[in-house]
Amino acid sequence: MKRLSVLFAALSLSTAAFAGAADDVVVHEPYVRLAPPNAQATGAFMVLRNTGSKDAKLVKADNPASRLTELHTHINDKGVMRMRQVQAIDVPAKGEAVLQPGGLHVMLIDMKAPLSEGQVVPITLTFDDGSSKQVDVKVVKMMSAAMPMKHGHH
Amino acid sequence: MSERLLITVIAVLVSLVIGLGLFWHPDTAPAPVVVTPLPPGGDFTLQSADGPVTLGNSRGKLSLLYFGYTYCPDICPTTLSALTAGMALLTPEERARLAVFFISVDPQRDTVEHLKTYVEFFDPGFVGVTGSPAEIAGVTARYGVFYQAQPAEMAGAAYVVDHSAETFIVGPDTRLLARMAHGTPPDQVAALIRQYLNQP
Repeated sequence: MKRLSVLFAALSLSTAAFAGAADDVVVHEPYVRLAPPNAQATGAFMVLRNTGSKDAKLVKADNPASRLTELHTHINDKGVMRMRQVQAIDVPAKGEAVLQPGGLHVMLIDMKAPLSEGQVVPITLTFDDGSSKQVDVKVVKMMSAAMPMKHGHH
Repeated sequence: MSERLLITVIAVLVSLVIGLGLFWHPDTAPAPVVVTPLPPGGDFTLQSADGPVTLGNSRGKLSLLYFGYTYCPDICPTTLSALTAGMALLTPEERARLAVFFISVDPQRDTVEHLKTYVEFFDPGFVGVTGSPAEIAGVTARYGVFYQAQPAEMAGAAYVVDHSAETFIVGPDTRLLARMAHGTPPDQVAALIRQYLNQP
């Protein structure tokens, strides 16, 4: 996972000649959650880090594995989890947006076929300035105690 | 002389480390794991793919109940994965005294077969159950579980059911013992289960 994010960082640096939010925002530790074989939807999680000096907004995500891709969040309303679509995910200048279970996520809806562990889903992220980038995201089975940590503990 | 100095330095360092370990607790006050007060709870009979399930027939087992739906893309898998990871920290003997039920809050769409495939992905021992909308309404009311299907405009194209995301721990006598908050980490899941398994 770490090596992947280094690779993504390197890739985005190499294309930094084309200025835009897609080049400023570096994607760390992306993964798609392996869902039960008959699940119709699953989530993709990642940390978006804005290395630029301008605020960025993720406004759209796309992927070929599901018929629909949406940006979502969860609101914990006294123990009741309410999932809602969001129009954009803010990635402040020199800051980050954390997409993690129970919160913001890219939702893959209406799967064309069940995903398998280790499969790579290319997810295209589009920002409000029209720039976009593709991130190759691995499907991960989140079972063990080594579940991706809540961000902020390291 | 230098040896004595060395010993003194080591002694100081050791006591420093021990002192830090004992008295320095950064990041204290963890989020509450157990949610109170408890609703009445109680026995119920619902349908699984392998026939009717009555909570009171658990044969001395401690039961964990989670209310969810199979379209649930994040919250339910997070909880079920945490339960699986928590149970992996228990001994086989402790696990054998535990039953886990996933109760549908989407009885119109979740069939017993669909529930079975969904929950067995997490653990082959988990049992998915559902009932008529009236039966589900009755059970959820007694467990203080809120659920409400959302119109598509609230959540895009996703089919969304807002629902309480706690896990209930129920004794062999069907008495509700505890309610675990969503996001309880596996080690605390294991500790709570063990606490109630070992309760006289």
